[in-house]
Amino acid sequence: MMTRTATLVLLLFAATVGAQSIDYDPRRAVELRPCDEHRYHGRSEQARTCYAKLLESPTPIVQAEAAWAVGDIQRANRIFRDTVQNNERAVQPRVRWARLYLQTHQYSDAVELFGEALKVFPNDVHAKLGLASVYAERFEGQARPLVEDALKQDADLIEAHLLTASMDLEEGQLDDADKALDRAMRVVSKEKLPPLEVYTLRASLEMARGNNPDQWIKRILDYNPRYGAMYQQLAHFEIMRRRYKEATVLLRRAVEVQPDLWGAHAELGSNLLRLGNVNEARTHLQAAYSGDPYSPTTVNSLRLLDRIDEFSISEDPVVIGQDTYQVQLRLHKKESDVLRPYVLDLTSRSIQSFSQRYGFKPREPITVELYPDHDDFAVRVAALPGIGLLGVTFGYVVAMDSPSSRPTSEFHWGSTLWHEMAHVFTLEVTDHYVPRWLSEGISVFEEWRTGPTPGVAVTPEAINALEKKQFLPVADLDSGFIRPSYPGQVQVSYMQSGLVCLFIEQRWGFEQLGVLLRQFDGKRTTAQAIEATFKIAPAAFDKEFDTFVRTRFANVLANFEDWQRQMQAARQAIQKERWADAVEPARRAVALYPEHVGGDSAHLMLAKALDKLNRRSDAIVALEDYRRAGGWDPTALRELARWLDEAGRTQDATNLMVSLNYSDPLNAEVHAQLGERLLTAGRNEDALREFQALLALNTLDQAPAHYGMARALREMGDKMGSRRHLLDALATAPHFKPAQALLLKMIEERS
Amino acid sequence: MNKAHLIAALLATACALPASAATYTFVVAGLGGEPGYEQRFREHAAAVASAAEKAAGSTANVISLSGDAARADAVKRDIKTLAARMNANDSAVIVLIGHGSYDGENYRFNLPGPDLTDSELARLFDELPARDQLIINATSASGAVIERWQKPRRVVITATKNGGEKTATRFAQFWAQAVASEAADTNKDQIVTAAEAYAFATNQIAAAFKAETSMATEHARMEGNDAGRFTLARLGAGEVMPDNPEVAALLSQRGAIELDLNRVKEQKASLPDTQYYDQLEEVLVRLALLQKEIDAKAGGGATP
Repeated sequence: MMTRTATLVLLLFAATVGAQSIDYDPRRAVELRPCDEHRYHGRSEQARTCYAKLLESPTPIVQAEAAWAVGDIQRANRIFRDTVQNNERAVQPRVRWARLYLQTHQYSDAVELFGEALKVFPNDVHAKLGLASVYAERFEGQARPLVEDALKQDADLIEAHLLTASMDLEEGQLDDADKALDRAMRVVSKEKLPPLEVYTLRASLEMARGNNPDQWIKRILDYNPRYGAMYQQLAHFEIMRRRYKEATVLLRRAVEVQPDLWGAHAELGSNLLRLGNVNEARTHLQAAYSGDPYSPTTVNSLRLLDRIDEFSISEDPVVIGQDTYQVQLRLHKKESDVLRPYVLDLTSRSIQSFSQRYGFKPREPITVELYPDHDDFAVRVAALPGIGLLGVTFGYVVAMDSPSSRPTSEFHWGSTLWHEMAHVFTLEVTDHYVPRWLSEGISVFEEWRTGPTPGVAVTPEAINALEKKQFLPVADLDSGFIRPSYPGQVQVSYMQSGLVCLFIEQRWGFEQLGVLLRQFDGKRTTAQAIEATFKIAPAAFDKEFDTFVRTRFANVLANFEDWQRQMQAARQAIQKERWADAVEPARRAVALYPEHVGGDSAHLMLAKALDKLNRRSDAIVALEDYRRAGGWDPTALRELARWLDEAGRTQDATNLMVSLNYSDPLNAEVHAQLGERLLTAGRNEDALREFQALLALNTLDQAPAHYGMARALREMGDKMGSRRHLLDALATAPHFKPAQALLLKMIEERS
Repeated sequence: MNKAHLIAALLATACALPASAATYTFVVAGLGGEPGYEQRFREHAAAVASAAEKAAGSTANVISLSGDAARADAVKRDIKTLAARMNANDSAVIVLIGHGSYDGENYRFNLPGPDLTDSELARLFDELPARDQLIINATSASGAVIERWQKPRRVVITATKNGGEKTATRFAQFWAQAVASEAADTNKDQIVTAAEAYAFATNQIAAAFKAETSMATEHARMEGNDAGRFTLARLGAGEVMPDNPEVAALLSQRGAIELDLNRVKEQKASLPDTQYYDQLEEVLVRLALLQKEIDAKAGGGATP
């Protein structure tokens, strides 16, 4: 039964009311209904007076509801708690108490209470729907089965139809949403219930179809001129479609018609942050905090804003042909000097590549933000579904983890930035109407084709899903991202979407991918866009795609267990240092499944075993194959660079080390070595960049960085700069003999 | 140790110990408890002892115990043996590698057989005749001893900030690296001092935890002044100062220039940029020319 701790937490709340949703439960006390009527029509004062009179009602649940409605959360909580404690079998009070918890952001306590209600009465549809609404809000797959279960018991459950429609809308299943809303409307008319939520979703549906929702908005405001929740809901779907600017307009309207709608203030603040409008964001977040100080989203966002001075902002023009684009970088001060040149370089290259490939020129400055603390980054994406994200794109604003936020072997920040930059283009080309699957698919595809780690790298989880026939029909692929039905489905959906784009490129040519992208103008579903572009039905598309992937991965699909056995054999041999025994299984595993380039890749085991057997040239081939397949493990590639050097392939080793900056840019040794190599190769500007990065890393031994910069600048003809860095080197390390020799040479040249 | 102290310690290398003084080093690798640790402790001890022998120019100045030989009675016996060889003008360096424990009252250095407590070890160190002492306790929980072992002219370094940091430490690994390579020699004088080794080891430990994005389980401490006066390793050509009065005189001149250099650097904030770099250049050119002369006379990199 409900824990006391949770109760105590709630008791701390003052009057933290937001928008109370409509209670469709027919068990709702009759005394409350006239007051509800006032509330539904936006007659706040009358509603308050009406509810206030019920505060002394002899029926505890009526008292609790009245207290809740007038904003006395503490009192409502106390009465619900006492009611539940006095009657262990009370179901409806538990359900309503749980709803109160939902409103105060205590989701796990709410889930517990709904669960308790269902233990008492397993068929209570309102408890089921309450639980389903929590799951739906968290984008968890259990929501739909629960709703369907409730509907089997009672087909006239309006809340079930509304939840279904809402989930359909989130997943882009517009026709299904339409049908669910028809059913909801029939019940509303029959039961004479307030139509506000049905109309709101109708308006959302119109918007999702690219139509004008004004007729529904008018009906809603005629019914209740203070119904800000409608605009908040419309904004929610716009945010789901990544249409942040449009969402901002709606959220402004929400707080205009209902200034005490704290959730809308919070969402508006978060959304303004996504758009980079920091000052106004702060104002709305503070307003939200004043009315609802316990919202974790609001508190986290305000905390992030409190530390905004820790970030430095730079603005650079990027010139591509005749065009100049503005790029703004927002990097943490402790690492901005090291990262800036690499982030700017990759951003510039991505603009060049994507503007050419997708025929679109960015119309606004592009902002790239890197967060060394993943929690700070998470605050930026709190309103979006998906866990463990590395980066998020809000149109012209990209936010992502910094290389310092994760171990280097787990995170290739260059690929992540490339992926996110592709989103900038796919979102902006389509005015943000691109469906999630296609935007992610193109981003993954571009990582494979043009990114810093080219190669079609496909995870075993995706192969496994393919084998189990878990790939989704293309028209339904968005649901794999939004409401996954099995663990790992989001990652599998990324892979599937990338493969769909690869299939389109192979089957119809790359240009057709751009044609498909441009179909999404807000008026077409995925199914319609597929038909319009490829002149085949989505089912036929799915069939051809299935054949494509099954052909491409035929080897591993037919021998997945064998591949696992070979991997195991190679792994065990490596562990026991029986190098000769590792070679054949590792080679066979690579042959079966070359696209596997994760941490335990067979390519890596093969290279290690071959090297230990003194077969260095074969080991080099193994690691080069690994890299071509998309492998990027920095430790392995540093080793490959060393081997290439020893094999006399200095130029290849240098180029390989340059690529390491996009996975391991905070490694002083790489910058030091690369600086020397580039200087030797006469690539003085590149060498200077490496020594600058080395200096910015603020290592214990700063003399080599200064000395390197002195030499690079000298080669570039900057005598003044060279002298300063040379003297700085010697001020740090007065006995640094190479620097002393250069100093004497410099003096000699001057005299 | 804050940055200002670290810089002061690094600069203090200019004022080295008297030429006649010798450095005696005692290294103990304690009980590993498992083969991996046994081997690591033995390797770290060997690296530290080897660097000390090279720096002293004599194997007689160094005693190292590891494995089963590192028992409490052997430690007591050998530390007394070493004590018998030194006088008050010499310096003593003690390095304890391995596991330590702290029960809230007593620190124990884990050895095969009975452990040695912090007070037993303190008594042994106090019996050393050398006035200048450097004690490095690289074990877990070693921070428990830092205040207890403090004494005038003694520098105490511990791998952990207190007795509560009980996880096996990495300090010895990086200390061994510091004395065995040029990486720690930040002023490039071919000498690794205790100040440089400490800065290197703490820097590497922080980097290692950061690279793993894991919480740091050890925070080293150093108490005592002028850790830069202890020479732990001489690198490359700069092994032992030649017994040549001419070179010794030049090295003395070099020390004076180094003091000039420090004076210029101290004025950096108050001088206009151009003037600062002009003055810096003047001193550094003098130093470079003198170094050429020293190298010519000493046949390569003599160091004090």
